[in-house]
Amino acid sequence: MKKLIPLLFCLLFVFSCVSSAQERSLKKLPDANFSVEIPDGWWKPEYINKYLITKDGPFLQYVLIQQRPLDRAFKNTRKKIRREMLPQEAAGIIIDELASDRFLMNLKVIENAPATIDGHPSFKILFTYKDKKGSKFKTLYYGFISGDSFYNLRYCAAMRHYFDKDIATFEQILTSFKLANNTAS
Amino acid sequence: MKYFVIVIAVCCLASGCIAPHAVPVDEELNSSEDERMLWRRVQKEQETIDNSGFLYRDPELENYLNRIAKKLQANSIAPDFKIQVKVLNDPNLNAFAYPNGVIYIHTGILARMDNEAQLAALLSHEMTHCTHRHSLRVIRSIKDRPAYIAAVQHTLAKISPVQAVARLLGATGSMAAVTGYTRELESEADQVGLDLMAKANYDSKQALKLFEHLKQEIEGEGIKESFFFGTHPHVQQRLNNVQNWLAKNNQEMKAPVKNTLEFQTGLQRVILANARLDLRMGRFDVAHKTVVKYLSMQPNDARANYLFGEILRQRNRQDDASEAVIYYKKAISLDSSFPEPHKAMGLMHYKEGQKQLAKKFFESCLLLSPDASDKAYIQGYLKNCNFNGEES
Repeated sequence: MKKLIPLLFCLLFVFSCVSSAQERSLKKLPDANFSVEIPDGWWKPEYINKYLITKDGPFLQYVLIQQRPLDRAFKNTRKKIRREMLPQEAAGIIIDELASDRFLMNLKVIENAPATIDGHPSFKILFTYKDKKGSKFKTLYYGFISGDSFYNLRYCAAMRHYFDKDIATFEQILTSFKLANNTAS
Repeated sequence: MKYFVIVIAVCCLASGCIAPHAVPVDEELNSSEDERMLWRRVQKEQETIDNSGFLYRDPELENYLNRIAKKLQANSIAPDFKIQVKVLNDPNLNAFAYPNGVIYIHTGILARMDNEAQLAALLSHEMTHCTHRHSLRVIRSIKDRPAYIAAVQHTLAKISPVQAVARLLGATGSMAAVTGYTRELESEADQVGLDLMAKANYDSKQALKLFEHLKQEIEGEGIKESFFFGTHPHVQQRLNNVQNWLAKNNQEMKAPVKNTLEFQTGLQRVILANARLDLRMGRFDVAHKTVVKYLSMQPNDARANYLFGEILRQRNRQDDASEAVIYYKKAISLDSSFPEPHKAMGLMHYKEGQKQLAKKFFESCLLLSPDASDKAYIQGYLKNCNFNGEES
């Protein structure tokens, strides 16, 4: 009987881990005017009040989806994206914002190119940076303007191992992204 | 590290409330354990800054700045203290010194200066923080008042700008760059700095002009920065101290040095680089003013004319777009091999639906820069121009 008790505790522990992982594995993001298919195993940390999902923890990799009103200025540059801007001009504002961020050290823009998301003319920026401790990160950032909002979807991961590991999953998320009232022609 | 950050930051808050210790004049540099610890700490902080990608690297400019520093230091109490001046790519108005003699000057404050005497005013102030060991004196004062530290810790936690800057600059850098040392030590830096300026035969009145200029910028442009030289009360305090010093030392100098020409020649590149940073940060009017200053010195610089066009285009006020075209055209006429204004002209026409004109400029842009980093966009525009034809 004494030998069974630790075994029972182990089983109880494994069961509780599995059930909490299932709870965290959200299929649908709450209160969003867009929909996106979240792959199995990805979850939203409860302590982050954003549309942010991760698989191994946000310090290793995350996908962040944002909708921001066009009249809201960016934090570091005070610039605003305007409705009539071309994707390249919007990308320029994002790059300026990133380059003005003191937490992104040794920022390098590897690619800045046109893209399409859910039928919307978009941009994609691929960049790398280091944090203060010297850890390297790589981010793929997509953005487009629709109505009075600027939408962006980004995948950020530790450059070593993690970025390449989940990039295909991010592409799946990107393909599944749909606006609720899509006005793209 | 956390404890150290708190102690230093508390020092910042305690400005004016704590009488700093005088470090004995005969105490050898770096001979005590607390000073050695401080230097080890700041070396780490400096490594972070130097490896951050935010340094403005221009050996010619650094040589010039270090030459002026050496000239000022010759008459200081520590002529052998190793002073090293570095430039940070940052449009904010600031400069700060670490206790081990490394002084960082932002491109933002350099771009606002008019002559070498103004630079000397800033360098001699910062240098005095090092030679008079202000960091060490603040730390020793704090050690004597542990109860006081505990009382202000709670307040400190609420100051988010300090926390944000501290992440890059580290604890000591934050004290030097954001809040300054104690009021008493800053005043000492003003007075000793002005003495050094005068001994090196620089026109001390230029210190007054520098701080008046900064004050006008802060008020006129509505600049809101958390850095020491970018805040109204600190700049006003500098102004008062300079005025007092000038009133006490009003003897006329023989041929005081301003050295405007060499200064302007040495700093032209940094002025333009800083205007780009201001534009990047969306400070359009400040960038506009800086490029006007640059163009008054170099009216036929194609890159400056292009930048001026970009400032106008991005600012997007009434008539800005049509004025931007004038500057893009001027940039092209000054240097027809410079691709950027071609692309800018292409984009202006493209957005107005003038596809044939846009096509002409996009094609010339790609011809001049076939490997442009944004060529995928330009190829897309060209495709649309060919496909859609003229729309207006």
